Amino acid sequence: MGLFPGLPDADRAPVIDTVAVELFGVPSLLAGQRRVAVVGATLQELSVSLAAVCPALLGKVIDPDTGWLLGGYTFVLDERFTTDRRAPIAPTSAVLLVSTVAGG
Amino acid sequence: MYGTHGRLLRVDLTTGTSGSEPIPEIVFERLLGGIGLASYLLLRCCPAGVEPLSPENPLVFATSPFVGTGITTASKLAVAAKSPQTGVIGDSLSSSYLAIALKRTGFDALVVTGRAPEPTLLVVDDDRVTFRPAGRLMGLDPAATAEAVRGDMGAGFRVAAIGVAGENGVRYAAISNDGRLAGRTGAGAVMGSKNLKAIAVRGSRGAPVADPKGLATAARGLAERSLGAGTAKYREVGTAANLAFFDRMGVLPTRNFQAGSFSGAEAISGETLLLDHHTDKHGCAACTVGCEHRYRTRDGGPATEARLEYETLFALGSLCGIADPNVVLRAAARCDALGIDAITTGATIAWAMECAERGVELGVPTADLPRFGDGASLLATIEAIGTRSGLGDLLAEGSRRASAIVGQGSESWAMHVKGLELPGYDPRKLQTLALGLAVGTRGACHNRSSAYEVDFSDRLDRRSEATARASAAATAEDQAAVLDSLTLCKFLRHALVDLHGESAALHTLVTGRPTSADDLRRAGERISNLKKLFNIRQGWTRAEDTLPPRVLTENDGTPTHLSRPWLDEMVDAYYGVRGWDEDGTIPAAHLERIGLADLVAEIQPVGTQRSTAPVAV
Ligand code: SF4
Repeated sequence: MGLFPGLPDADRAPVIDTVAVELFGVPSLLAGQRRVAVVGATLQELSVSLAAVCPALLGKVIDPDTGWLLGGYTFVLDERFTTDRRAPIAPTSAVLLVSTVAGG
Repeated sequence: MYGTHGRLLRVDLTTGTSGSEPIPEIVFERLLGGIGLASYLLLRCCPAGVEPLSPENPLVFATSPFVGTGITTASKLAVAAKSPQTGVIGDSLSSSYLAIALKRTGFDALVVTGRAPEPTLLVVDDDRVTFRPAGRLMGLDPAATAEAVRGDMGAGFRVAAIGVAGENGVRYAAISNDGRLAGRTGAGAVMGSKNLKAIAVRGSRGAPVADPKGLATAARGLAERSLGAGTAKYREVGTAANLAFFDRMGVLPTRNFQAGSFSGAEAISGETLLLDHHTDKHGCAACTVGCEHRYRTRDGGPATEARLEYETLFALGSLCGIADPNVVLRAAARCDALGIDAITTGATIAWAMECAERGVELGVPTADLPRFGDGASLLATIEAIGTRSGLGDLLAEGSRRASAIVGQGSESWAMHVKGLELPGYDPRKLQTLALGLAVGTRGACHNRSSAYEVDFSDRLDRRSEATARASAAATAEDQAAVLDSLTLCKFLRHALVDLHGESAALHTLVTGRPTSADDLRRAGERISNLKKLFNIRQGWTRAEDTLPPRVLTENDGTPTHLSRPWLDEMVDAYYGVRGWDEDGTIPAAHLERIGLADLVAEIQPVGTQRSTAPVAV
């Protein structure tokens, strides 16, 4: 039983902890910070949330239409490079946003 | 023949003579140009077992069909010689106006042998070759040398020059032109051993292309795409952007590879440099990307400006425990001015720093030893290397030779493969790159391997089987060979959707020879094999395809995904994928299969011939 029993179930969102996304290179410079706290249960949700917190990323790193990463960028989730939008995020996940152009 | 002139210029500095020789079209067909052409000419002109600093070691400069065509990033020049640092193939790539000028002389390549009786300036002005005394240029840095030569002879000349490190035979001296360097493997020492201070080049002849209109359209399209997200990192931050990310991933070589992350990383990160030290941005000739970022010191010391790339930043920064960007900038500027490879410089000094930390005797007073984190000692040691004074004389030999001289166990922390110091990627977590570094024909080189791309992706994981990883390493190596031979900048690769297909289309427009993506893949494989042939001929053995012991064993709690049995298995798999024998030699039937046998027929049985001359110290 919740604190507000009258609230419809649809309004009860699962509790999602804040995840700190670490930004590197161009994303970091655009956002003006290395870490941004956002919420999301999947990488797609994280990406949308990131765009809302750092609108400077829109059009340069995140596609304004889809809320997903533009070509040239990828997430690194717990040391694994991935562009799987549905990849689930745990509260302890380490999420980095970097250029796909690694090295050089 | 379109896109090339089909001839090379041979210069003998001992006799002061020169002449031209044809390059058969089949050489370009099979090996493209650039690194492929330079490696081929080196294989033909370099006797087995030659002493790298002797007059007989040829110094080869080679252009490509794409040079001078207006294709973005293609103004590149390959430089090759038997390396005085490694004893195996020394192939470097430099960029910019010199490449265009050399191609416009009407020669595709220049092969220099011999030793001039006095310091010399070699002048190639179209077909005219002259030798001028260069005594007054000695002691000048490469930029000042170029300025003096162009001041005398006219701004139409482009100049390749060595600094005092090349004059003094520092084994990892570079050749500089237009602010760019043929940096790794010591071509500058070879040039210095020939008493050749500089080469001035001017030309007035372009090589016609097969389809000028089609090429102009394709080149314009590529230039537009070169400004997209695939190159944003290079354009907006430069390769220095790697540093903070590598630190976070635990692959930033720190304090001579004693750790994979650095407490001072944020202070010297690309982002910090951009915000606090950036001055401006440049590019090589005919490049729309422009990845060269320049920075300025911001402390009370002498004002210095320098270009910084990630490799310079890690080698003179985290590898030496330096967290002050002002020190790194001064160190980088001095490496450029002295004309030395910054990676080997930083890595050899880091080796000496660890010697000092462990109390290993280096034959100089304790006060003269470089120390991790001590900027003043880093800068003083760089000067000493350039002039081969004090400890610098030992360190000018590079970490492999220096550790062999010093002994006391210091070989185990000399971080090189085949005598070439590791680049700024800690291989302990990057298994495909680790294999690429171990089997690399010029030693530990990220540019010739680029296998790190596989590790920085979701294509393979730690448990992937040996053949898959070996295949990925070989493919990455072959792709790099294609780009280095066409010549296209590697920083353009992410602007291409189909790298081989699009490059092949450009090649067809330039040369008129219908070229497919598979033709280029085969050329890449051929070029990788050709370089291996050179090494085999100079005495290479499988024992050299290895990694420094430090990365193969647990080190003070630094975990590694590598081990000796793992590496043996990987090298076996790599040779298998390549079609080589178990000892790494190339069967004659394989040479036939890949279309190399007839090209090297006159120097057969080169594939199995072994020189008795030692490669290592
Ligand atoms: S991308 Fe950089 S290295 Fe490559 S050609 Fe352009 S300026 Fe030169």
